Amino acid sequence: MKKKYCMVIDSSVCIDCKGCMVSCKVQHKVPRGRWRNWIKHTEPDFTMGKHTFVHFQPGNCMQCDNPTCVYACPSGATYKDEETGIVHINEGLCIGCGNCVVACPYGARYRHPEKRVPDKCDFCRDRLDMGLLPACVDTCPTKARTFGDMNDPDSEVSRLLRDRETVRVVSKPVDTEPNLFYMAGVMPLDWPGPVEYPAAYRAMTGFVNPLVKIAVGLSGLGVAAMFLKQIFTSDETSEDDSREEV
Amino acid sequence: MNNKMIHRHDKGAIYIHWFNALCWIFLTLTGLGLISNEHINPVGAWWPDLMRGIFGSAETLINVHIYVGLFWAAVFLIYILVRFRDSLAFLKEVFTLSPARDAVWMVKRNIQLTLGNRAMKKMGMTTEIPPQGFYNAGQKIFAQLTVIAGLILVVTGIIMFISTIILDSPTPAAWSRTIHYLMAGLALAGLLVHIYMAAISRDERPAFKSMFSGAVPEDYARHHHELWYQEVKNKP
Repeated sequence: MKKKYCMVIDSSVCIDCKGCMVSCKVQHKVPRGRWRNWIKHTEPDFTMGKHTFVHFQPGNCMQCDNPTCVYACPSGATYKDEETGIVHINEGLCIGCGNCVVACPYGARYRHPEKRVPDKCDFCRDRLDMGLLPACVDTCPTKARTFGDMNDPDSEVSRLLRDRETVRVVSKPVDTEPNLFYMAGVMPLDWPGPVEYPAAYRAMTGFVNPLVKIAVGLSGLGVAAMFLKQIFTSDETSEDDSREEV
Repeated sequence: MNNKMIHRHDKGAIYIHWFNALCWIFLTLTGLGLISNEHINPVGAWWPDLMRGIFGSAETLINVHIYVGLFWAAVFLIYILVRFRDSLAFLKEVFTLSPARDAVWMVKRNIQLTLGNRAMKKMGMTTEIPPQGFYNAGQKIFAQLTVIAGLILVVTGIIMFISTIILDSPTPAAWSRTIHYLMAGLALAGLLVHIYMAAISRDERPAFKSMFSGAVPEDYARHHHELWYQEVKNKP
């Protein structure tokens, strides 16, 4: 049966220790200044005095069901694995055009400075194949992150999704249908950016593609017309009339 | 019936033509297979699926496309360098349009071929077609298209190829792909007509044969390329 991996995150127990970020960075040799995952936080309001608080929100690629990064990729180098629900990058097919990096409203992708292709969280696919949990989940000292298969009704994530009230951090106006679920009360919720496609991509879908279709279509129609005319006119008619005029 | 043949293409031109034809068709088919996004691919996802199936994987497909493209460009470059004067003469020939003669030819010949002489007369035109040189106006425009598209395809192709090797900005690759796709699409539109005219059209059958034999019958030359015929008819 197909799996659908997801994370259910109880951000209220996150202590901002950055253990998940560090273990991810080590696991995937993420280059300096880049991150595959993050801990967002609210801005403290110090006018609240001793009630001042900060809420921490761990996150990473949301492996969306409506993946705008996948739609932004013409070649299928970025694709959603139907067997696991994980969004992957085929580095051998990618030309490093950067469409997907811009199209992700969560900023979950960065362009790898040496490989020059995008890089992102893949739920530690290699570790999953070895029967291990993703590095960030394994490391978290307060067990804020729970990982599992939503399609398995007996999994911990399925139980949490059944028993607890969860919300998703969604982008606007396009809901990418993310697969990271947070216990209700999570903050902040307003940080995802808009879904954007680069100008080169918009030119390709909005202008070049229709133009190519029209050009090839008209040319095909012309050829078809000539072919039909050739079939329905015998050798002796019009063409030969003109031949004799010369 | 006059059976005299007139020399039209030498061996080098014939070889490069068929090399070019094979590469162009192969690269168009494999290139279309690289667009697997069904929101973009004009024919849908079945074609890229088929291509990737034939080549084993998408990575193999893109690598074959890249290296055949580079090989095609390299052979062409060598051909142009070895036959520099012939190539310049070709460019001069195809990029020299005579507005009055060629525009009338384009309009009338297109109507004649698709709708016929009767329709042309109904539209108030005579069936007189302006005489043409070595290439007719349609051939010239298709040649111009392939020269320009070919150059741009090579440049944008190389930019995409080196994008993940040395380019630190993603923008050149993104624009290159858009332009590469546009040029390949426009060239395909022209190619359909070119293939039809050459291989299927009854009228142009002698031209097709000359792309193997190198020669056309005198009648054909006089009827289809009168200006060229006048130039060469008295040469041995």
